[in-house]
Amino acid sequence: MGTKSLAQHSSSVKRHEDQVLVDRCRRGDRESFAQLMRLHEKKIYNFTYRMLGSEGEAEDLTQDIFIAAFRGIRSFRGEAKFSTWLYRIALNQARNRIKYLSRRNFFARQTRRADYGTNTVSESPEGLADSAPTPEQWTMAKDLAAQVQECLNQIPPQARQILLLRDIQGFSYDELSEMLSLRPGTVKSRLHRARAAMRDCLSEKLE
Amino acid sequence: MNCGKYQSQFNDYLDGDLSLREREKLQHHLKECLPCYRKWSSLQKTQEILHQLPTLDPPEHLSAVVMARLKNRRLRQPLWFSANLPRWLPMGVGAALLLLISVVLWQVMPSQYPWQSLFPSSRKNVATTTRPAEPSQETFTIRKGAPGSSVPVMVLRVKDFSRADQQLQSMLRSFTRPPLPERESSRSPHAKSARLFQLQVPGQRLPHLLRELHKIGHLDQSQVESQKLANPGQQKQVSISIRIVVVSNGSDVEIRQLREGR
Repeated sequence: MGTKSLAQHSSSVKRHEDQVLVDRCRRGDRESFAQLMRLHEKKIYNFTYRMLGSEGEAEDLTQDIFIAAFRGIRSFRGEAKFSTWLYRIALNQARNRIKYLSRRNFFARQTRRADYGTNTVSESPEGLADSAPTPEQWTMAKDLAAQVQECLNQIPPQARQILLLRDIQGFSYDELSEMLSLRPGTVKSRLHRARAAMRDCLSEKLE
Repeated sequence: MNCGKYQSQFNDYLDGDLSLREREKLQHHLKECLPCYRKWSSLQKTQEILHQLPTLDPPEHLSAVVMARLKNRRLRQPLWFSANLPRWLPMGVGAALLLLISVVLWQVMPSQYPWQSLFPSSRKNVATTTRPAEPSQETFTIRKGAPGSSVPVMVLRVKDFSRADQQLQSMLRSFTRPPLPERESSRSPHAKSARLFQLQVPGQRLPHLLRELHKIGHLDQSQVESQKLANPGQQKQVSISIRIVVVSNGSDVEIRQLREGR
């Protein structure tokens, strides 16, 4: 209970800090935007990396997201959290980039190369070898993160984004509902399908 | 055993959204059902893997590059729009300006409708529609007369002959200015068909009539033009001699014949 209220307090402090920086930024203070960026760039970069599966593309996309955020900062009115607003931009930009890259067969080439840069797991996660249906294969996988990324690339972008936002970035259903402009029930059912697709893909790959 | 029902609860179970009773029932089912247990277990492992994915550090130069790219960029909206003004304000100001312009135009324009002087072609339409409605609008066509006759024939279309008298009367009234004298219009139109009509065609009827007469070659283009020129603004009347025929269901019956048939 105490931990929960501490987390809430920390979240409200963060929100206030964002709002102060946004207000300064809207008045033309670019340094405040640089601070905002430093606060959020890691999460956004990881999100874009998981969406695209390439560090180079993720870097480009992250740059574009922050530039779009800077240009549109005056449309942010503080009704939602800054991070929610920023992720809405990230989702739109990622959607466009995925369309662009798909037309150029980027993901097919990416899967063939299975090159996910430095993002590999050298040690298997703890607890994978107990009661899973195929624990041996899972623990034997040398490059689990790469396998996961391959699966992420294989599931539809819509499923990928909802899975990343919920299961990796940890957003609540309400926040997802706001970000994706969907009803909470729809978010749940889409997440359900995305998790099932991811499970099927990973089970198949790691068997 | 309803595996589908239990499997649909997996996500709520993962998210910790099941009630105690539902959780106990699901756990009990998972102990007994191997296929469901396998599905649950693989889903749980997938979640663990996703949660344990390493977090990458963005390139160190990322923010510097973005700030450099932003150097020459401006914020998208003008400054006056940003501050803490309510969202409806720009729309409200726009609506007020529009209203003001409308009122000024209304006061300044001399004609009945302000836009008439801006769009002359619309004045004609408005003027026409503001007149009293004319009966039997353009339900006629013009044909050539009998061989050797220079008198054209006006073909009046009726739905049924029982109403021919009434419709002919109303059309004659619409084609004459001033209206037919009472003694004329009260007479049966059948009787009139035996002789030619001298129609006083009102101005707004004129273009259609001229066009029809031109089609049958009764008037050539120069005569049409001269008629139009003689009637600038189509406000005047013209006289024309014409024979009238009533038509129904595609068969032409002269009014005289109609009367004889009854």
